[in-house]
Amino acid sequence: MSPAQNSAALRSFEEQWLARAPGAPEPGAPAPGAREPGAREPDALSGLRERALRRFLHLGLPTSHDESWRYTSLRPLASQSFTDAPRAQALGFEQALALEHSRALLGDRPAAEAQAATLVLVNGYPLLPPAPGPAAGLEIRTLSAVARENPDLVVRHLEPLPDAEELRWLLLNTALAVDGVHIRIKSALATPLLILHVGSADRPGTVAYPRVIVEVAPGAAATVLEHHIQHGAESPLSNSATLLALGRDARLEHYRVFAAGERAVHFDTLQVRLERDAECRQFTVALGGGLVRALLDARLNEPGAKLDSRALLVGHADRHVDCVNVVRHAAARTVSRQTARAIASGTSRVIFNSKVVVDAGASQSDSQQSCRGLLLSPSAEIDSRPQLEIHTDEVKCAHGATTGRLDPNMLFYMLSRGLDRQTAQSLLVYAFLADVLTGMSQSAARGAIESELIRQLPDSQILQEFK
Amino acid sequence: MIPPVRMLLNISDLSARVAGKEILKGVNLKVNAGEVHAIMGPNGSGKSTLAQVLAGREDYEVTGGSVSFEGADLLAMPAEQRARAGLFLGFQYPVEIPGVNNVYLLKAALNAKRKAAGEPEVDAYDFLSLVKQKMKLMQMSETFLTRGVNEGFSGGEKKRNEVLQMLILEPKLAILDETDSGLDIDALKVVAMGVNSLRDPQRAVVLVTHYQRLLDYITPDHVHVLSDGRILKSGDRSLALELERRGYDWVRESRVA
Repeated sequence: MSPAQNSAALRSFEEQWLARAPGAPEPGAPAPGAREPGAREPDALSGLRERALRRFLHLGLPTSHDESWRYTSLRPLASQSFTDAPRAQALGFEQALALEHSRALLGDRPAAEAQAATLVLVNGYPLLPPAPGPAAGLEIRTLSAVARENPDLVVRHLEPLPDAEELRWLLLNTALAVDGVHIRIKSALATPLLILHVGSADRPGTVAYPRVIVEVAPGAAATVLEHHIQHGAESPLSNSATLLALGRDARLEHYRVFAAGERAVHFDTLQVRLERDAECRQFTVALGGGLVRALLDARLNEPGAKLDSRALLVGHADRHVDCVNVVRHAAARTVSRQTARAIASGTSRVIFNSKVVVDAGASQSDSQQSCRGLLLSPSAEIDSRPQLEIHTDEVKCAHGATTGRLDPNMLFYMLSRGLDRQTAQSLLVYAFLADVLTGMSQSAARGAIESELIRQLPDSQILQEFK
Repeated sequence: MIPPVRMLLNISDLSARVAGKEILKGVNLKVNAGEVHAIMGPNGSGKSTLAQVLAGREDYEVTGGSVSFEGADLLAMPAEQRARAGLFLGFQYPVEIPGVNNVYLLKAALNAKRKAAGEPEVDAYDFLSLVKQKMKLMQMSETFLTRGVNEGFSGGEKKRNEVLQMLILEPKLAILDETDSGLDIDALKVVAMGVNSLRDPQRAVVLVTHYQRLLDYITPDHVHVLSDGRILKSGDRSLALELERRGYDWVRESRVA
């Protein structure tokens, strides 16, 4: 066994698993207490979870030898031990705070409405019941309840277990997630839904496993925002996972925004499954955290499916952002677009790896990958690597990646028109990011993201004026 | 009564280096208000370098001489300050800046100049009608209002946009670097009309050009031949015509003789 495989972190994950055994105290509870009778999980699910754990332990923690972890070292993490992050009740996260975030992202609206459109998960535990009853056409349930009453549904979403190395944290989430939410969107929703993920801990060395499943029924349409924030000085290691399953002709605009504190470590796995003619527009925005690993695993399973993924990766201070996209065209006439804008200042590092796989039989598929990086400091670093794996003929695949500094010709052009240097530089930075921002249809969310983004850029006062 | 001659620009023994190579080797030139000068010369003679040095490009190193603009030391000012003081460079190759709106840049430029002069910011409505009026003069379509700076413009559109910017900023001294290159005859006439509309006893224009074609439409008061980093010969309009007939070698040879 390599040292990494025998690490303190791995042992502590295994101990968490053992503590999940029937009769053991409920995880994350402030005080030990037996689970309610009947709260035990069905065998089908616990069998699946055990296989997930074994597979994760077999893979171990990633090292630089793993293809998708080449630029991100988890060595500091390996020597730490982790226990379950506390449950929501222990932390006193208040609805008033949730409301504030909700209004910032969804726009100002009456409290009741904002509350209905906002779902709060603290360390992965849903704060339910959420207000009187969410909008019509929407069904929200805790994953633990669904697991008890309809285990097959949960198993169906968790299967098949992945074996790709880049999906190991998803395996661990599958094994150890205690709760989460299951959302079913049944028609076209008029208002967006905000999932506020709050990470909060009373001490270092805790871990949370938020799990979200979003099913969009055939023909239904919605906007879902997942916003990851931190409450208080400490945050758990967050190992979150979200599945977006879109039925035939369904439409979804999905945002995931990472905005935790500067020391937070976050591994997030986003799975997207698209059926015939379904369309998903996905925004990944890294604006916070110390180490953020954002994985997108998308499958265009039926003809006509379309994915438009856009990433805004902001390296600030000594932040480390590692974004990995794997997009699989598994059927004919599928379309994918991947656009990433990476910007790095201070001593930050931003990585964008994207891979497109076109299966045999997925003819007339069309994919584009584009990553542009902008370095704002000599000690920052941006790495981007587009990859293509094509197993069929008759496809249209394009990719490109460029990284550079602010263009001195553009800068001089603006100076020669009388603009001062700071304004000219800021304008160029803003222009660089505008592509991704303008694609966001939620103006309040866009405004909030823009403001926070600007705050983290050099010369932020000037940039405020361009909004 | 003859109005007093007011000197705008005085270049004295200017030399400059680009990437370690001496390009300007002692340029002398005086430009008075109300005058139009043409600087002609073969490729590689230093015409564009002179234009860029005057506009304040930092990677062009001045190694000797002096330049005064309305009596002030031009070389001591950073590029943006030169622009605000009333110097304008029309680029030979205008830069595309996707994502930065054309009109936004224009407005920011005008306000920067007004601010430096202690004037209030331009009223948004007045500004837009001014831009539209000048665009009409330059025969530009209104779609330019919503596009990024020079983004996707054709060569001719870029040059018109340079002249549009000049008309809005109303510089005291406009240096137009090969604004005529790559233009068809119709576009050339439009550009010339734009430049002529700015002619004024208080202003001056320096046209940097390779061919005398532009001078059929903008009549210069003085013509200079720049060759190998020096002004070899100066004269009036007839010098340009003679150059056209006899080529640049004639100037170089007559200099040696």
